[in-house]
Amino acid sequence: MIQVSNLGFAFAEHTIFEQLNFNVNKGEILSIIGPNGCGKSTLLRLLRGNLRASSGNITWDAVPVRDIPTKTLARKVAIVPQSTHIDFPYKVHEVVAMGRYPHRKSLLSFADKIDRQAIRHALAICDILNLAERPVTELSGGELQRVLVARALAQSTEVLFLDEATSHLDIDHRLELCELLIRLNREQGTTVVQISHDLDLAAAVSQRILLLTEHGKIAGIGTPVEVMTATNLHRVFRVDVKVEKNPFTGAPQILPMVNASIHQLAKLKIHLICGGGSGKSLLRRLHLAKAQITVGPLNRGDSDEALATALSIETVREQPYSPYSKESLKSAGCLIDRAEILIVTTLWWGTGNLACLQLAHKALDQQKTVYLVGSQQEHDYTGGKAWDWICRLKQQGARIVDNEELLLEELSNRRI
Amino acid sequence: MVLSPFVALFWSISSGSLDLSFQEVFSLLLQGPGEAVEQVILWQIRLPRALLAGLVGAALSLSGTTFQAVLRNPLADPYLLGVSGGAALGAVIALTFGFQSSLILPLAAFVGAIAALSLVYMVAQAHTCSSHTLILAGVMVGSLAAALLLFLLWRAPSDATRQAIFWLAGNLSLADPDWLTWGWLWVTGGFLLLWLQAPNLDLLTQGEETAETLGLDVGRTRLVLFALAGALTACAVALAGLVGFVGLVIPHICRLLWGPGHRLLLPLSALLGGSFLMISDAIARSIYAPAEIPVGVVTAIMGAPFFLYLLRRKGGGL
Repeated sequence: MIQVSNLGFAFAEHTIFEQLNFNVNKGEILSIIGPNGCGKSTLLRLLRGNLRASSGNITWDAVPVRDIPTKTLARKVAIVPQSTHIDFPYKVHEVVAMGRYPHRKSLLSFADKIDRQAIRHALAICDILNLAERPVTELSGGELQRVLVARALAQSTEVLFLDEATSHLDIDHRLELCELLIRLNREQGTTVVQISHDLDLAAAVSQRILLLTEHGKIAGIGTPVEVMTATNLHRVFRVDVKVEKNPFTGAPQILPMVNASIHQLAKLKIHLICGGGSGKSLLRRLHLAKAQITVGPLNRGDSDEALATALSIETVREQPYSPYSKESLKSAGCLIDRAEILIVTTLWWGTGNLACLQLAHKALDQQKTVYLVGSQQEHDYTGGKAWDWICRLKQQGARIVDNEELLLEELSNRRI
Repeated sequence: MVLSPFVALFWSISSGSLDLSFQEVFSLLLQGPGEAVEQVILWQIRLPRALLAGLVGAALSLSGTTFQAVLRNPLADPYLLGVSGGAALGAVIALTFGFQSSLILPLAAFVGAIAALSLVYMVAQAHTCSSHTLILAGVMVGSLAAALLLFLLWRAPSDATRQAIFWLAGNLSLADPDWLTWGWLWVTGGFLLLWLQAPNLDLLTQGEETAETLGLDVGRTRLVLFALAGALTACAVALAGLVGFVGLVIPHICRLLWGPGHRLLLPLSALLGGSFLMISDAIARSIYAPAEIPVGVVTAIMGAPFFLYLLRRKGGGL
């Protein structure tokens, strides 16, 4: 139905998408999930043609979206926006009636029988008949959202886009909306593309899930069971979750591992070797736990470096995009000498940062505790050298930890 | 509401330095134009003037309603997008170059207004830009025109300056009744075209992107609406100078009273705007008769308290 090929898009200098490829199939419910700011809403606006792609193509049944007149497209697809503020005090039924606009024959025509029926029906389905005469400016967030859903329904389209349409809804209306989506999908063959923050609901209603990474790349597309795995979710959201089967629906269900204890690591001297965002959340959490942290070496401009600077953490800095020099490795070594614990969270190993593992080796020689977090063999780009080092470190007594949660647990136990 | 313009018209033509009772007015109207002093006053002075006031009030209210909807800004008025500056500049250029003819002045103002509006439109590339950009571009072009205007007035002979300032303050004493017919045709045409666009105006108040997803060709519609509203304003300015307050507040009053749907809002604000200005003008002429106070003083003194009262009663929510 909708084909996206080699899609690229940038806001001014800031690239959002590059080389994106996927399809929306006719008659499916596709949920787009991903972290804040990864471009979910932008993607939806691109699909609708509100934004122009900088490169690549978006086609609706083989017709490029930019060639379809906006009125024709409005008869095909309706959108429930994220949240809108309506400035003018239109009555609820007037706003819903705007959904009939693309079906008007001329500007002079008034609402006919079909229009009126579609409006009443949409009001009834969304449980806002009693609000019909109220001005939209007086409604609560959830009520307004239902009005916007009703407007989209009144548009009577074969495709429905929803941008977090359930975010302001109570649980009853949220479930009702999900049921409605499934019903529309099954009975009228409506194609639904929705952005969702509620992973469980997305898994429950969707036939397919599109998982986007922070950088607007596709981390996975497929059935909920295929895509919503603990590994994928950890990679994209950097959280530790357990994925189970919902005992009633069979859909994947995400159990977040929220730790109720707050770690206190006051005065624990820790050196952190990280990079490329791998240390971001750990840095924040160690900082909040009041540990004495030092970091490095890090390239200037690295997101971890920016965070360390913002938190006023002592950091060894290297020129942007260059391998770590002898000097910076030496000063990092000095910092490690002062620390009790060394943590390595670096995910990707190349020739530029390989020397960091030597630092870890030295630290072990000095009887310091070394933790390696989340190291994986497939992230070794040094032809096996880095992995050899990691294995050797393991033999020497470096501790391998799967995730930050376990690491923090261990560190705080150590205090006691 | 439909009858209000007639009441206002009646009131307007019966008041002035020579007070006429309603019966007298009625019989004079039935007699038609003639040679008697009362007939001359009524048919050749008061009636054209009242009709002009009605026309200007209606045109300004219509264009104010349109600008407020398209720009989604409650402070928008017909003069926001540089129209006033352009018109004033055009008129003052004509005056300082010594064209005193009653034919040239409205024409120059009209051309100035349209030129300013087109400039704003081109600078802001209004097909694609946000309404904020458009407003800023309008204010900038307006300031530029105001600066040029001051410069011209500074250089001009004091006679022309006085005339120009008098004109700028809004002046309903029409010079040439011929313009009135054309003006009414223009405003009626503008109103009808605008009224056709009512559903599009409703959609635009929801925001550009929403309007687009509901199937509106936003760029083209905006161009059409600006052209119509600009033409109405230019016509009003050309015939009566800058009459303030009407175009800003009448749309708000109508919206508070009858809701924001433009199918009704447009005709109602035209009627109310016309009546309001006719009555204001009648008052302006009669308080210190035979002298007149500027009509803008009356519109603001009458309109502002009423508007504040409505605002309080409805608890805000424009």
